[in-house]
Amino acid sequence: MIPSDPEALDALAAEHVLGTLDARQAAEVNRALPVDTALREAVARWEARLAPLAGLATPVPPPEGLWNRIEASVAKRSPAPVVPLRPVPGRAAPARPNTLWKAWSAGATAIAAGLAAFLVMRPAEPPRMMTVLLTSRDQPAWLVEAEGGGLRLASLNPRPVEAGRVQQLWALPPGATAPTSLGLIPEGGQARIAPGLIRPEPGMLIEITLEPLGGSPTGRPTGPILFIGRLSPANGT
Amino acid sequence: MALDPAGMIRGVANGEAGALRRLYDAQGSRLFGVAMAILRDRDAAADALHDAVVKIAARAAQFDPARGEGGAWLAAIVRNAALDLARARGRETPTDDPALGDTAVAPEALDRICETQEAGRLRDCLNTLEARNREGILLAFVHGLSHAQIAARLDMPLGTVKAWIRRGLARLKGCLA
Repeated sequence: MIPSDPEALDALAAEHVLGTLDARQAAEVNRALPVDTALREAVARWEARLAPLAGLATPVPPPEGLWNRIEASVAKRSPAPVVPLRPVPGRAAPARPNTLWKAWSAGATAIAAGLAAFLVMRPAEPPRMMTVLLTSRDQPAWLVEAEGGGLRLASLNPRPVEAGRVQQLWALPPGATAPTSLGLIPEGGQARIAPGLIRPEPGMLIEITLEPLGGSPTGRPTGPILFIGRLSPANGT
Repeated sequence: MALDPAGMIRGVANGEAGALRRLYDAQGSRLFGVAMAILRDRDAAADALHDAVVKIAARAAQFDPARGEGGAWLAAIVRNAALDLARARGRETPTDDPALGDTAVAPEALDRICETQEAGRLRDCLNTLEARNREGILLAFVHGLSHAQIAARLDMPLGTVKAWIRRGLARLKGCLA
């Protein structure tokens, strides 16, 4: 159990960083870290305090061939789905969070409508699919467009993510029982999902959830759904 | 082309070509040393460094230079990967190696790490602890020894070691505050 008493919590964090917790305790702390801010901050402070001790380990050249193994694993595990895009020309730079919040409700709908119209009017070979992801209060937050077999996202409302959390993008094809992770949303409000991970299709549910650093530890969404929408043909409405 | 750890982590986060390789080349020996000190087995340490670098690649965007130094962030990920592996193996790492810890817990060893002001303060604070208490903390952090392993090595009752370490950490915290 993670103690609520600050002193006990700090002692637990200290031994977690020191490495003396047993497997069960360590697993418990690792499970709690993404959701327990006080614990996370205590661990971060202890890591900072004890960090210089890592310098006591004698450097040893890693074995030959280890890099190749790492490179293969990184290539396999990171589908490189989400990469920052260049800002869309003509769009204002993201405002500071505070001012943004105020301007948001007034401006977002207009921007969404404008962007949507822009996308619909562009000459397009394959049938276009898009959706606007809405907040729980039905405010437009992200424009999602199928593009070249992948997806392209533009934030209508770039907002800072809660400290110590990340936004993770998911797709749920019609009929599927579990969503597929499309990766973490980078800062900056623009992202592109490379083709191959999913095949965008009408009715596909797209959602963004709030997850611990590094993304959902389970491969399924664990945090609240921040934004959600369903892909549909762009000219079908 | 930044060679400081924070700059290299940023390069990885930005998806710069070859950034992860540059980081591995520059930091690999230091990080493999961290894993080796805990696992004392080249194959296991290689597994730990592998897991850690894959994690570093995935989490580079989450590194926040305002919250800590880049080299420390990397070492923490490697330590956690090595400790997870040590725990998964029931910490059946050899601890009767006569050379174990001698370099890390020698009285003069701490002088090697005080390149920075923080490290110097940590050394001074560690030096205020009783020698065995300090040794226990160093054996745990650097060599990943469990309470039981530290107790066996220092020939002290397990309960005493647990209490000492807890008290030692609390004193360190007070001293560093």
